[in-house]
Amino acid sequence: MPELPGVSGSGTLPVLPVLPVLRELLPRGGLARGSVLAVAEFGLLCLALVAGASADGAWCGIAGIPEAGVLAAAGLGLDAGRTLLVPAPGPAWPQVVASLLDGCELVLLRPPAPASAQVRQRLQATLRRGRGVLLVTGDWPGAQVRLRVVTQRWTGLGDGHGRLRACCAQVVADGRGEAAMTRTHWLWLPAEDGGVAVADPLDLPADVPFDVPADVPFDIPADVPVGLPAADLPFTQAAPALRAVSA
Amino acid sequence: MSARRPAARRPAARGPATDQSPPRIMVVSCPELRRPELGGPGTSGPDPGDFGDFGTARLLEQVIAVVTGFCPKVEVVEPGVCAFGARGPARYFGGETALAAMIIGAVADLGVESRVGVADGLFAALLATRTASPAAAAPARTESVGPRVPSYVRCAPPTPQGAPAASSNAILVVPPGQTAAFLAVQPVSVLADQDLAGLLKRLGLGTLGDFAALPARDVASRFGDAGECAHRLARGLDSRPVAARPPPADLSVVQEFDPPEARAEPVVFAAKALAEQLHAALAARGLTCVRVQIRAAWADGRESSRLWRHDGLLSAAGVADRVRWQLDGWCPTPGGGAPGGGAPGDREADAGQYPEGGVASLRLAPDLLVRAAGQQLALWGETVVSDRVARAAMRVQAMLGHEAVLRPVLGGGRDFASQVTPIPFGEKREPRLAADQPWPGRVIGPAPGVVYPAAREVEVTDDAGEIVTVSGRCVVSAAPARLAVPGEPPRRVTGWAGPWPLSERWWDPAAARRRARFQLATDDGRAWLAVVQDGRWLIEAGYW
Repeated sequence: MPELPGVSGSGTLPVLPVLPVLRELLPRGGLARGSVLAVAEFGLLCLALVAGASADGAWCGIAGIPEAGVLAAAGLGLDAGRTLLVPAPGPAWPQVVASLLDGCELVLLRPPAPASAQVRQRLQATLRRGRGVLLVTGDWPGAQVRLRVVTQRWTGLGDGHGRLRACCAQVVADGRGEAAMTRTHWLWLPAEDGGVAVADPLDLPADVPFDVPADVPFDIPADVPVGLPAADLPFTQAAPALRAVSA
Repeated sequence: MSARRPAARRPAARGPATDQSPPRIMVVSCPELRRPELGGPGTSGPDPGDFGDFGTARLLEQVIAVVTGFCPKVEVVEPGVCAFGARGPARYFGGETALAAMIIGAVADLGVESRVGVADGLFAALLATRTASPAAAAPARTESVGPRVPSYVRCAPPTPQGAPAASSNAILVVPPGQTAAFLAVQPVSVLADQDLAGLLKRLGLGTLGDFAALPARDVASRFGDAGECAHRLARGLDSRPVAARPPPADLSVVQEFDPPEARAEPVVFAAKALAEQLHAALAARGLTCVRVQIRAAWADGRESSRLWRHDGLLSAAGVADRVRWQLDGWCPTPGGGAPGGGAPGDREADAGQYPEGGVASLRLAPDLLVRAAGQQLALWGETVVSDRVARAAMRVQAMLGHEAVLRPVLGGGRDFASQVTPIPFGEKREPRLAADQPWPGRVIGPAPGVVYPAAREVEVTDDAGEIVTVSGRCVVSAAPARLAVPGEPPRRVTGWAGPWPLSERWWDPAAARRRARFQLATDDGRAWLAVVQDGRWLIEAGYW
């Protein structure tokens, strides 16, 4: 994948940058300022979209999503220091989101209630004025770009052994206007290193469960005593005698 | 020698006031009005907007107004304590004691108890008020002050029309010329510089008299400027002249709206003009305020009052913004009475219109005046938050409350939820658990995108439909086959791993937790982090 120049200094660009592998999903290679993007359901895809902009220096707000995994987002590049969380925006959420959009360039929102057409129009006007981007999880009629994860599969788990390693996801993007053409991409979301990478569906085993990678060192027999300190447990497991250390 | 010379010269450089006996100073102190310790911006106390002691602040102003009636030049030393030069007023009102009694009487009319001390110099006068016992004490006029200060008259008011006898104990007049002797018996702990006081005590100097007996030159070379200043105080000299407080310098600015203004825009517009007026008045006096208080009175008589941090950093537009946010967020709820709730709650939509008849008056009052001396740079801690973001965050806080806007900090911990500490915006950002510890038992691998703040209870069953259990020896009863999340269709488990036991804080019965963790993959392509605790299955996080 070629590295596009001009990722930094996005203050004047018409788009907020995203992670490189996500660029081809979006019509202008980024999050167009003043636009609304809708992601079908909250998940790593939302966090990945936010993380790219945050890594570039944008302030991001996350409203209405108390379960947002900040740790995973930080692994994708989110700067936690430039993130505002409003877990419960309450019934006055349109005002809260409008206020957030005044300060943040990107707001990830799950509306606590369905947005009326009037509320949507008002927020769109705020967006156009402030050159921000609203990323909505759920349905948002009028969103310029819609994204959704169609299929996903985790690798690494066996039948009683292994651990989660990476997830291969098929992401579909469509929308209105220049985004009308449907795009489908396979991504490692997340890849083994916690980032996002391009995946090839042909690499995937057809069956579920997937093969456990050979380097998984560990297979707990069902009757292993708790106390045995195993050398390379995927989850560090403390023997009772060692538990005092693990305060 | 040469090192001492500049120190010895320093007092002379201070100006003509050096060794003159300081003027007579009268100090009026109202112990009950002294401001309690203020919470800084980083304290996690109640909402900083709660200003419980507004009544106190108003009373304070009234007391100062009363004292100003006796002498126009009053300096507020600290909240609840004011001082003025006593010579002229005392001559006019027939003596220091008579004046003091009148002031106590007049202040008592406000329902405030006060004490008065008179001495040469502010420091001694402040000490005198502290030594004076409260007015409520038994009216024993002849009672001696104690062995330490035998020679000072605890004066009875001689004037017939004077204050009640009970106030006599509340006055301590140190006769002119005896201030040094009065100070000599005071312990060194009365000095404001507690480090210095402790040091002096360890050096065997228990009283100010002992300290004052040291040669000024040696004190200056040994203790530096602060020590020199304290030494001057101990000798009965003044470290600084009293700065006169301009008479009724009420710097607050008010705008009345007649008829009451029901729309937001005119109020905010007026607020901007008011703020400019306020800033100009402050700047003319070389002052700035730490906080600004915005009070709005509604047409139906209710008031909303909130303190906003200012620190001299806000522009007039910034103050106007805060007025708007406060009014938007604080529209009095019908029948709610106190506006303390601040819940914009059900008041959906139109922020441009105020209910209940609108705003009748708007007052901006500077709180905690300080000398304008430069600005504080990183107001919000390590990462500099731009004005724009701070404004947005504070506006949301004005709507939803202080705890509603959070900034996450990554830390340590064994659970995904505990590795992120949310800190209310504006407070110091520190993780709850240190990140640089090893945290054995931490889940490794990719972090989940969904971390539930409170674990969700689920059912995990085996092929036979029985709940999967984990024994005390970490043996699974059967392979998990189905995952049922309440409200969602059941999922087939396509892969699983575990149990990974985790026994935390077993030495603390209250915090001890024993859990067995599993990772489950389901047929919809998702994966879950599940735990078994006390025989129940809980979902802590979701991988999607």
